[in-house]
Amino acid sequence: MEIIVCIKRVPETADADIVIDRTGRDIEKGGLVFDINEWDNYAVEEAILLKEKYGGSVTVISMGPEEVNETLRRALAMGADQAIRLTDPAFEGSDGYTIARVLSQAIKPLSYDLILTGVQTEDDGYGQVGPTLAEILGIRHAAVVNQIEGIESGRTRVHRELEGGLEEILDLELPAVLTIQTGINEPRYVSIMGIRKVAKKEIKVLGLRELAMKPEEAGEPGSLTVVEMVSFPPVGEGAQILEGTMDEISDKVVTILKEKGGVA
Amino acid sequence: MEVQKEGFLQKYDLYGCFQCGKCTGGCPVSLKSKLNIRKLMIEALLRDNLGNVVQREELWDCTTCKTCTLRCPRGLEPMDLLIGMRTLLVEEGHIPKTAIEALESTYKYGNPWGAAKNKRSEWANELGLKVLPQGDQASNLYFVCCTAAYDTRVQNVARSLVQCLRQIGYDFAILGNDETCCGSEIRRMGEEGLFEMLMDQNIESFNKYDFRSIVTTSPHCYNTIKNDYAQDGLDVRHYTQVLAEAVEEKNPFSGEVRKVITYHDPCFLGKQNGIFDEPRYILQSIAGVTFIDFDRSREKSLCCEGGGGRMWVEATDQGPRLAEIRVQDAVEMGAEILATACPFCLLTLEDAVKTTGNEERLRVMDISEILVEAL
Repeated sequence: MEIIVCIKRVPETADADIVIDRTGRDIEKGGLVFDINEWDNYAVEEAILLKEKYGGSVTVISMGPEEVNETLRRALAMGADQAIRLTDPAFEGSDGYTIARVLSQAIKPLSYDLILTGVQTEDDGYGQVGPTLAEILGIRHAAVVNQIEGIESGRTRVHRELEGGLEEILDLELPAVLTIQTGINEPRYVSIMGIRKVAKKEIKVLGLRELAMKPEEAGEPGSLTVVEMVSFPPVGEGAQILEGTMDEISDKVVTILKEKGGVA
Repeated sequence: MEVQKEGFLQKYDLYGCFQCGKCTGGCPVSLKSKLNIRKLMIEALLRDNLGNVVQREELWDCTTCKTCTLRCPRGLEPMDLLIGMRTLLVEEGHIPKTAIEALESTYKYGNPWGAAKNKRSEWANELGLKVLPQGDQASNLYFVCCTAAYDTRVQNVARSLVQCLRQIGYDFAILGNDETCCGSEIRRMGEEGLFEMLMDQNIESFNKYDFRSIVTTSPHCYNTIKNDYAQDGLDVRHYTQVLAEAVEEKNPFSGEVRKVITYHDPCFLGKQNGIFDEPRYILQSIAGVTFIDFDRSREKSLCCEGGGGRMWVEATDQGPRLAEIRVQDAVEMGAEILATACPFCLLTLEDAVKTTGNEERLRVMDISEILVEAL
């Protein structure tokens, strides 16, 4: 079982103060903490679990500058066997489609049975890369997979999470792309010792030339969508920021809930 | 999991154990948990596969109160064996999810509470404290600790301590957002690599500035800086030591607190570092205080179950929380205030006051907070 996992290093923004940068097309990332995209973490874990069950090897691929090595090493420490980093100034500004295209160029020469990606990324959240990659490679795919029942004679049975709490069960012929939903497993902890152990492991680096791509096929020129501007959502009406000590705030919350009929 | 057993045997001197059972006899959680440290000692010695020995979820019940190690007549270190077993689990990656969250948060943000690094010193806004990385100078460094910096309840302890230190004329500064987790609980959860990283970061910060000693809010920071970092020339003191000394010299806390107060010994302050008298001395020096001691006090003190990473890992046992037993004892003794000197003890005991329905009868307070009432 040869498995490829596409992962992304993303900034953590949940608890951070977000500032829009000078271009108005992105946020300031200077002071932010980066980590593996949450969905991708589940995808790596799923790949390792499949390898532990069926044997084979796991290759992780990511796009981006040298800092991305940290994310790739983390995946190696989890149990991946090889890591590839795709980097080139020409990749800057790639949209979901172009990222899938770059990834497909890196994946084509490899042998694989399964390609896993996260459902979406925490930063852009398009959810396009997995299915687009499958289309470009001309193989089957299933998105939002929350269970892989098993793999047998070149086929896999997977569960997909649908809207409204429904679940779809698919029987797919391999190779296929599965986009992995959070909660499919419990990703293992990656210890500092574990990361140190893989510190010397080679990370293969490929650029535009090695991928046999033209500059106009990557980055913004190759993209089908362009971000014109980003903005904060308008402050909605009815929101109220409570101030005071913890006790005062909780009293106010209770009063409001009572007034609005939230509690008896 | 394949584990090299020989190194393990020697590291923890397992051949030295003669199975007397004093370790388990003193263990505060073994009464209600499957955790049996004596059994772990013998199994680690006799079983071929150490990997199987450590696959027990009750390994996470241990609070690393160190009673087992302190009671061992052969001078062995059962607590360290248990932490070593956790280290094997950590390296394999299969540990409780809540422990993973605390460890990952510490790696990313320098605290196990999942809070942003640049908000670490928000508790001190408007206090006008000196901050070493901002170019201020002071004779002493106040090492705040993650829980005092971020937990809204314990922030009040940090603020109270600032008032107390100012009252005794203690010259101090903080590291501000450059302070990072001391790593005490990280090491005890078995993440040795991360602990070393944090220790190196903190020692590097300490070396950048010129100060005489470090004063800590938490006995856990105090213990780890003193005994785990164990750097020559690094003088670290728990705040109760600093305040007791000042009170003995000339008590500047002249107000009255007319209350019956008892004191819960934090394991990391009392049992592990022998600081029993200073907290009691401070409390007894406050005018109006009637001090009563627990039956289980000092070396015999009952653990609150907040140590050893247990702030982030729920125990497997179904028994009553030890903090609840502690609170019941305090109420039965007629105490109105249950004093302590540790952020974890404060939180576990305060929770226990709520779960046992004793909110009207008993208040849990840090010694520094009681002193502020005596200002």
